[in-house]
Amino acid sequence: MILAVTVAVLVTGGVYLTLQRSMVRAVFGMTMISHAANFMLLASGVSAWRGEPLNGRTDVTLAADPLPQAFVLTAIVITLAITIFMLSTAVFGHDDDQYRLPETGEER
Amino acid sequence: MSIVWTLGVLAVIVALTPAITARLGRHSGWVLAAGYLAATATFLPAVKAALDGAPLEWTRPWIPGLGVELAFRADGIGVVFTLIALLVGAAVLAYSTGYLGAGRQLSFYWLMCTFTLAMTGLVLTDDLLVLFLCWEVTSLASFLLIARSGTTAEAPSMRTLLLTFLGGLTLLVAIAGIIVVTGTTRISEALTSAAWEGADPALVATIAVLVAVAAMTKSAQFPFHSWLPDAMAAATPVSAYLHAAAVVKAGVFLLIRFSPAFNDVPAWNGLLIVAGLVTTALGGWFALNQSDIKKLMAYSTVSQLGLITAAIGVGTEMAMVAAVLHVIAHALFKSGLFMMVGVIDHVAHTREVGRIPRLIGRAPASFAVVVVGCASMAGVPPMLGFVSKESVFTGLLDAPGAAWTGWAALIAGAAASILTFAYCAKLVFGSFVDGDAPQDDELGSQSPVMLVFAALPILASVPLAFMLPQLERLVVPAVTAALPGTAPEPHLALWHGLTPELAATTAIFAIGVVIIVARRRVWRFFGRAVLPFDGADVINAIESAFIRPAHALFRFTAPVRAARHVVPGLGLLAVVILAGVAAIVQGPGLPPLQEGLNRPIDAVLLVLITIAVAVACLAQSRMTAIVALSAVGILATVQIMSLGAPDVTLTQLLVEAMTIIIMMLVLQKLPRTFWKYPRRAQLKRGAFALLIGVSMGVATWALVGRRERSDLAMYYLEQAPEVSGGDNIVNTILVEFRALDTLGELTVLGMAGIAIVAVMSSVRDRYIDPPASDVPEVPRTPYVRLGHTAAQRAAFVAWPNVIPVQLTVRRLIPILVITSAIVFWRGHNEPGGGFIAALIGSAVIGLLYMSTTTDRAIGPPQAPVGLIGGGVLIAVLTGGVGLIFAGSFLEPLHGYFLGEHFTTSMLFDVGVYIAVLGLILISFNLLGTSDSAFTPAGDDVLVEGTMIRDVDDETTESTRERVDEMVYGEMSGPMDSVRGERPSWWRRTPDQRKRRRRAHTASMSRGRESEGNGS
Repeated sequence: MILAVTVAVLVTGGVYLTLQRSMVRAVFGMTMISHAANFMLLASGVSAWRGEPLNGRTDVTLAADPLPQAFVLTAIVITLAITIFMLSTAVFGHDDDQYRLPETGEER
Repeated sequence: MSIVWTLGVLAVIVALTPAITARLGRHSGWVLAAGYLAATATFLPAVKAALDGAPLEWTRPWIPGLGVELAFRADGIGVVFTLIALLVGAAVLAYSTGYLGAGRQLSFYWLMCTFTLAMTGLVLTDDLLVLFLCWEVTSLASFLLIARSGTTAEAPSMRTLLLTFLGGLTLLVAIAGIIVVTGTTRISEALTSAAWEGADPALVATIAVLVAVAAMTKSAQFPFHSWLPDAMAAATPVSAYLHAAAVVKAGVFLLIRFSPAFNDVPAWNGLLIVAGLVTTALGGWFALNQSDIKKLMAYSTVSQLGLITAAIGVGTEMAMVAAVLHVIAHALFKSGLFMMVGVIDHVAHTREVGRIPRLIGRAPASFAVVVVGCASMAGVPPMLGFVSKESVFTGLLDAPGAAWTGWAALIAGAAASILTFAYCAKLVFGSFVDGDAPQDDELGSQSPVMLVFAALPILASVPLAFMLPQLERLVVPAVTAALPGTAPEPHLALWHGLTPELAATTAIFAIGVVIIVARRRVWRFFGRAVLPFDGADVINAIESAFIRPAHALFRFTAPVRAARHVVPGLGLLAVVILAGVAAIVQGPGLPPLQEGLNRPIDAVLLVLITIAVAVACLAQSRMTAIVALSAVGILATVQIMSLGAPDVTLTQLLVEAMTIIIMMLVLQKLPRTFWKYPRRAQLKRGAFALLIGVSMGVATWALVGRRERSDLAMYYLEQAPEVSGGDNIVNTILVEFRALDTLGELTVLGMAGIAIVAVMSSVRDRYIDPPASDVPEVPRTPYVRLGHTAAQRAAFVAWPNVIPVQLTVRRLIPILVITSAIVFWRGHNEPGGGFIAALIGSAVIGLLYMSTTTDRAIGPPQAPVGLIGGGVLIAVLTGGVGLIFAGSFLEPLHGYFLGEHFTTSMLFDVGVYIAVLGLILISFNLLGTSDSAFTPAGDDVLVEGTMIRDVDDETTESTRERVDEMVYGEMSGPMDSVRGERPSWWRRTPDQRKRRRRAHTASMSRGRESEGNGS
């Protein structure tokens, strides 16, 4: 099952980057982990059936499971939103070092 | 219907309050008080019905699955408390018009009205869950009312919240218990249910105690009394309402309401009598300790409520009559006296006994009113307070248990009443008689409005003392409701003949007079006889005892460094997966993999993805890493396409493009390379990452691809086109079958945009647009070395560069817009849909951004936030349409128009489209500002050994200004606003705003001119 190996590669890279000090790298890592999660979800629809789930276009006997695809679509959108948010926090101080915090003026 | 009208009027008042305060400011109190009176008028039929013994009812189903109904029932108890809440509320609101400072005072009026609505709902409801909801709303409202008084009120309001929510929890548990025992949520059925007879006595006692504790937290009974004096931090009208009519009375109400079920439970009687008497004594003592007359009043409330609680605990007919009567009397004199404290405060500018001058000559009317109110509180005949206190004594004599308990209770109550008498004297003499002669210039003015409405409840209680038979008509139905099956005939009167109660009263007066004569020594004694700590300290100590161990946990979870959070969670997950899969393989074994899971392209993609991931991980240059990452993204897109998911492919492709563009925007502001780390640390990270990666691969291998397609998949494949009328099954799942998921996704998307704006406006300027000196930089070489040749310079000057882009954009935008529309339209039957279409539309934004010569925001500054809000709103409204017309939230409606098939799910898709545009606009406008600092990244170039920027400072907006403009609209510069505060010209309506802004800009430019002339 080749897809499992792809997932392993993406997660390895993703976790490695997430552990880095640079926020941008952590964001890259999250992106990779998201790809891996999407593959996992799609694989749960059983990759032996790979027909496009379009009525009238694809024979039902060949069509892929549409539900994981819907999940992945939702996941991609949320990934986009979260990625943009994390990137915008990375830019403060024009330095993305996670160990240094910009002061907000609030007491903690 | 009367009940519905009353609650409806109150709800309308709550809804209209913002509009009213916007127009009338602090004078809104008049309108709102009139509204309360209107609500009272609509309530009169219910009052009449309750007095006639046939309470009105009104029910609507609410949560049929749980048998919960919006049930209301105006019985005797509800009527008494509703009248108190409304009438005292009206007086307080009218008083507030004089008390409050000028300004809109929206939060005050809004919270007060919400408070009254919740309180009225609480006392009128006949459903346990509605009761609980209203109970919590009153807690929240009182918390907010206290908290709105500024920073000094922060700690007190938190303590109030802690205590009242503690009571909320016990009430919730008690309600669950009651539902379990009786099997109904209807209060009138549950409390008189026969199931109590057969229930386990220990369970019944537990429930009774839980209810009692809930009520005690609300009505500030020992040991939960400390929040009430804390609540003094609130404005005086708030205190008056809280103490006299609302929160604390909610506790008493709860006790009376639940009396039918628990009146014969010994734990209930014992707890309430003891707690009540201890509270009344302690409250009186603490009241005498105070030199602040407002605090004195607060402790006096604690003390008076103790008497009421004890009377309810006794629970005989007479005691209950006394409790209800004292509730009424207390509401009248306490609300009035509290407001009088406000009057004194306004006149003397202080509330400290000893510093208040002798006001008797200056404010004789105030003096008279306070004397009458205090006489009622101290139980001096012929006041209403005298009648109620006498009857409380009569009630206490009936205390259950041994013969001596009644006498003990009476003596305890009488002793506490001596303290009451003493603090009443302290209030009257301290603020009107004993002070120094007043200096005219030190005194404030007396607002007639305040005086009149403070006097109103106090003076109203005087005639009531002579209308006891009429008052009895109101009290008796309440007692009958509290003690079903009784028909009390209390024969309230000022003169009962020579009774033990009269003897007690006489003794109280005798000692009271002695105290007045020797008052200076008494005050001095009580001034010293204070505990070294108060309730607030105790709560703080408990709180910090809880917080200290929490700090230990905090140390693990607090760091923002991702690694601290990632490693434990993922490590554990890997262990679980690897061990679990090993166990399954060893034990039952795995089912066989399906045939044909792999395709050749998978292997090709695996190799390419591995290379791209390796480059992205190991690259030192940020640019290289981004290129590699985009390669991963494109390869992932191909993989998705090969898995037969056209919609996902399209989305992924567009998202990938958008993500990379936004990453590039961010990159221009960051150092050009990553920091370098020791090889050992990186190797450790790599090893850990490999462990997690392998575990995820193993999980994928073991858990998926070992079955046929699921039944659910077959349902969608076979039925979905018919059910939804769309051929693109994935899209119909998104906007119809699982539209709620999509709504959630849409909200996340929108909130991310809003969160970016919020976070950016909360960060200080020097982090958002840092000066060059603050930016750390890795040693590096510049991208380009520029000489002076014209050709080289031309490549780095902005305007000639963008001309080709601008020409392209002009042709491309219509094409993109049309493409976007087509993709949107075909989404229902073929790959496409709102999200994909929106990303195509966003490409327009991207192109516009890139084709401008100078850095400027795209679109009106406030548009993005509006787009996000509008998008989510459209989606929710579409859902509402489904709920109303098709019976289920987000259920689509189908129809034909001009021969084309339309569904409301398209409208939903419009919402998605708009919100996505909003988010992308925010990203471009906020992240795409020119690099404001002299950082080596981005646009700066090295010319003959020195770095220069190609961004003109004068023409560009800073990120700070962009963020501010997103919230407040176009501004002349970033200096207009202070972080988190509205600019001075900001007004609610666009019209006013425009006018103010014009004036502001004009004054600014005038200022600049004069500055220029000066120099």
